[in-house]
Amino acid sequence: MWENRCKVAISGVGFSKVTRSAEIPLAAHALTAVKEAVADAGLQLSDIDGLATYPELPATGHAEVDGISIVSVNCMMTMLKLPDLSWHIQVGTTNIGGAVQQAVNALLAGVCKYAVVWRAMHNPRGTYQNLPGAYAQGAAQFTAPYGFGGPGQGMAVAYTRWLERHNQSREKMATLAVTQRRHTQHNPHAYFYGTPLTREDYLNSRMVAYPFCLFDCDIPVQGAVAIVLTTADRARDLQPRPAYLAGYGQRLHFEVAGRIGSLSNYMEGGSSSAKLTWERSGFSPKDVNVAQIYDGFSASVIYGLESYGFCKEGTALDFIQDGRIELDGELPLNTFGGSLGTGRIHGLWHIIEGALQASGRAGSRQVKDANVSFVGASAPIVTGTTFIFVGDPY
Amino acid sequence: MSEWSKVTRPIPAPNEWTKPFWDAAKRGVLELQRCQSCGHFQHPPYATCVKCIATDLKFEAVRHDGVGGAGTIYAYTIMYHTGDKRFASAVPYASIIVELDDAPGALLAGNLLEAPYTEAKVGRRVEVVFEKLNDDITLPQFRLARATPAE
Repeated sequence: MWENRCKVAISGVGFSKVTRSAEIPLAAHALTAVKEAVADAGLQLSDIDGLATYPELPATGHAEVDGISIVSVNCMMTMLKLPDLSWHIQVGTTNIGGAVQQAVNALLAGVCKYAVVWRAMHNPRGTYQNLPGAYAQGAAQFTAPYGFGGPGQGMAVAYTRWLERHNQSREKMATLAVTQRRHTQHNPHAYFYGTPLTREDYLNSRMVAYPFCLFDCDIPVQGAVAIVLTTADRARDLQPRPAYLAGYGQRLHFEVAGRIGSLSNYMEGGSSSAKLTWERSGFSPKDVNVAQIYDGFSASVIYGLESYGFCKEGTALDFIQDGRIELDGELPLNTFGGSLGTGRIHGLWHIIEGALQASGRAGSRQVKDANVSFVGASAPIVTGTTFIFVGDPY
Repeated sequence: MSEWSKVTRPIPAPNEWTKPFWDAAKRGVLELQRCQSCGHFQHPPYATCVKCIATDLKFEAVRHDGVGGAGTIYAYTIMYHTGDKRFASAVPYASIIVELDDAPGALLAGNLLEAPYTEAKVGRRVEVVFEKLNDDITLPQFRLARATPAE
């Protein structure tokens, strides 16, 4: 087990309004989320001395403009003018989960006391994923000429392979979409709060990139979420019950860019990350009381459930049936609604929900007696960070 | 059947690693990067052999029954979304990933041509055809296999 388990905790969470289009600059959303997270922890902005994010705009073919379409560390630093700032970082390979892990490392190293991590996501005007212009450069030269555009299609090809190799049907995914949308009705911050979804809605919805229909894809939105992390001894002095970090992991596998359709990329990415988290925390999948698994596209949940070890390869669509992922089920899943419910804010919201469930702060969607709270914060292929939070340190 | 004649495809821009692939395709030959140390074919091209980390890589023709491009559909998607208007006339169309018989592990993207998109299934036999885009670039593409595979 990891000697640093339960030595860092999440003590505050914050949310901006989530809107479909960009009515105000993204920096304002990020600022709202950060201020809320700091207030939730019972701290002042001036207490914050560490900053971390992953600022990438995943939409292709759109400019990254700091403060408008991304919110970098420099942007946040400029806005907050923190008097005691002592550490900051912006990560590349590991998505937002990596920014959280770096903040954990900085707190353990003693180079900051209260770190803020935010994820701000922009929804650009026009088509979200654009194919290249007249010429396809780099890895895209082997895919874009055939009409392969964004990550949706890249994930869709692996999903057909999974479905047909395991003799499964995409209709079973309706259970995930409908259950998560029901969870969403307990999350007032979510984009689809107040909008129910039925099995018929799912089965009759328009196809986007087979096997993905509209409700297999998270909706692009404008919004931001943020957390405050601190050391366990400091967290105990704050008002919210701490969510202690029991262990974390990151993907240790990567295949050549442009080699799309490969299932091993997902499965080995996920299993390599989860193995670290299980070993460091001392827990195994059967110990988990509640799980958040990244669902930017629904199939990510399949790869997550299987590669993290919750069920055998080829069985995830059966695993999610029969009430197992309901709030009172055997493995309550994406209890905040997931990205399919909140809108496309990437994995920091999964981490937030993992922390809220572990600390008993999830309100009407709280899973009874939840202690061991698992998070797969991004698709196993790209970034694959995993976490376990607990309410009871050990 | 998808209407491809009105589609304007993004044109591949070859670089130092990929130029031999496109030069060969222009001649109607499928050449992939091959490790000169362990013999592994790989695609897309990369700086090192993905099997043994050797850096001595050369493009060589992948041959099967003298055709050079028999394989199976490894994975596929049917595209319905018309976000890119250049492909709108072909929707719905099959974008497929093919694993060649003689280059296991190398995955080539393509479209399923000369067949309804509903014919795309994992494991279906396909063979390469070449689609000329302009004087410089010819795209390897795929259609359902006509010859039965050699045992």
